Amino acid sequence: MINVQFYGVLQELAGAQTLSHPLEAPMPVAEVLEQLQARLPALASHLPRLACAVDDRIVPRSHTVAPGATLALLPPVSGG
Amino acid sequence: MSNRRHLQSEPLDLMQLLEETRDPASGALVVFSGTVRNHHAGKGVVRLEYSAHRALVEQVLAELEQEVIERFGVQQCRIVHREGTLDIGDDSVLVVVRSAHRPQAFEAARYAIDTLKVRAPVWKREHYSDGSVDYQEGVPLQQADLEN
Repeated sequence: MINVQFYGVLQELAGAQTLSHPLEAPMPVAEVLEQLQARLPALASHLPRLACAVDDRIVPRSHTVAPGATLALLPPVSGG
Repeated sequence: MSNRRHLQSEPLDLMQLLEETRDPASGALVVFSGTVRNHHAGKGVVRLEYSAHRALVEQVLAELEQEVIERFGVQQCRIVHREGTLDIGDDSVLVVVRSAHRPQAFEAARYAIDTLKVRAPVWKREHYSDGSVDYQEGVPLQQADLEN
């Protein structure tokens, strides 16, 4: 299992700030994103512009996420 | 250094930042304030909500302060962003730069706010005067170690 956190507009799409996603073995972030897209089709149009963080560190999509980790999905930012 | 906060839910305190950065070797002080305005893209705005990935914002802005100091050779750089609900006229972000001379201070402050806008995981949700609410489109997060 991993903990998935949604930020910004993604919270509205997901209807939640977090969800648990089944993960039994380490897997690249890109593959987890594909699984999440199947679960939440509304994510699809946002995926190309998302950044990802695992356990509070920005990671490339090739990064391997392990069971127990927290994966944060970070849409385009608008601070300032 | 490490106990300096970069994200806060209470109103930003410019005087506190000026006091924190007081520096006898600096002859120039530049302050940038991002202030909530009452319009966006032709629509009336009545308030904003800022949300953030707190741990990452703390890390990103602490690193940005250090980068600004090294890159521009300025004495001091402090950046603090607000989260929560803000009214028109409230400060959403403050950048304070002190340096020996003014050119570096202006350049450094400009770089700090421009870079914050593409690196800080902060999201702005606008409440419009017609009652609608929307997230700003934003820019994809850029990060030194972001490979794709």
